[in-house]
Amino acid sequence: MTHPTPQLANIGDTLPPLTFGPISRQTLALYAGASGDHNPIHIDTDFATAAGLDDVITHGMLAMSQLGRLVSDWVGSENIATLSTRFTAIIPVGASLTCTACVIECFEQDATSYLRLRLAAHINDGTQALKGDATVRVP
Amino acid sequence: MALFDRSLMGQTIGPVSVILERGPMLFFAETIGETNPVHLDPAAAHAAGHPDILALPTYAVVIASLADKSLARQGRCDSLKRLGADMRYLLHGGESYTYHAPIFAGETVEVTTEFAGVSNAGGGTLEIARIYQHIVHTDRGPLVTTKRDLIHKLPK
Repeated sequence: MTHPTPQLANIGDTLPPLTFGPISRQTLALYAGASGDHNPIHIDTDFATAAGLDDVITHGMLAMSQLGRLVSDWVGSENIATLSTRFTAIIPVGASLTCTACVIECFEQDATSYLRLRLAAHINDGTQALKGDATVRVP
Repeated sequence: MALFDRSLMGQTIGPVSVILERGPMLFFAETIGETNPVHLDPAAAHAAGHPDILALPTYAVVIASLADKSLARQGRCDSLKRLGADMRYLLHGGESYTYHAPIFAGETVEVTTEFAGVSNAGGGTLEIARIYQHIVHTDRGPLVTTKRDLIHKLPK
């Protein structure tokens, strides 16, 4: 499947998908340090099991960072006007993510062309973990 | 059961000054697997017309955390503690960014946190707090506005 550049994109076109993972405990530990989110639910198995989970869980924001990369690698981060997501499922440690985006709207505002993208991140078992959208300026 | 502090709603914290050092920005970019050199290499960023490496789209959440750590170091309560967040039950419901201008390494920014409201859902099993954050550069103006929904999945 071919993926157009932002300049040639139309409704229904998709961006090159991005995969991330498997998300190891080491990745979660590094992300905790890099992001400053030290919530033990992501890095301390003892804490996670005491909280009633089977194991540590992935930072939602690590998954959102991949949706961000998917969009910024395509259009350049300086051309992203909005980026938004809801977290719809817990992402277990060890999961892999597939991030996808589809153009759902093209519009003009103040003599600038914009695209609206629908974003999704799925875990390897098929569960949709993130449901999002982005608005980008066509450079 | 209610864990979030509802008396906080309508209040703000800040502005808190945060210095965006290049090293932590690089560490973040490498950790999430970024490969675009404008986010990793100052020379590539200069060549693309930027003063330094560009922050990635979700770096705003890191800036929020840096602001919290700065408050904690001053002996003040950070935003999660103020909110009454209980890490055992805390989930992230949603995160939205509106970008006004790019963010570069080496800058100092001001972070203001606004507690907007708490609602209940799921027949009383969920408690949702909405927070807005404004990241502003003193000279360049607003950089990013964040809308964040934090959820307590309340114990039965």
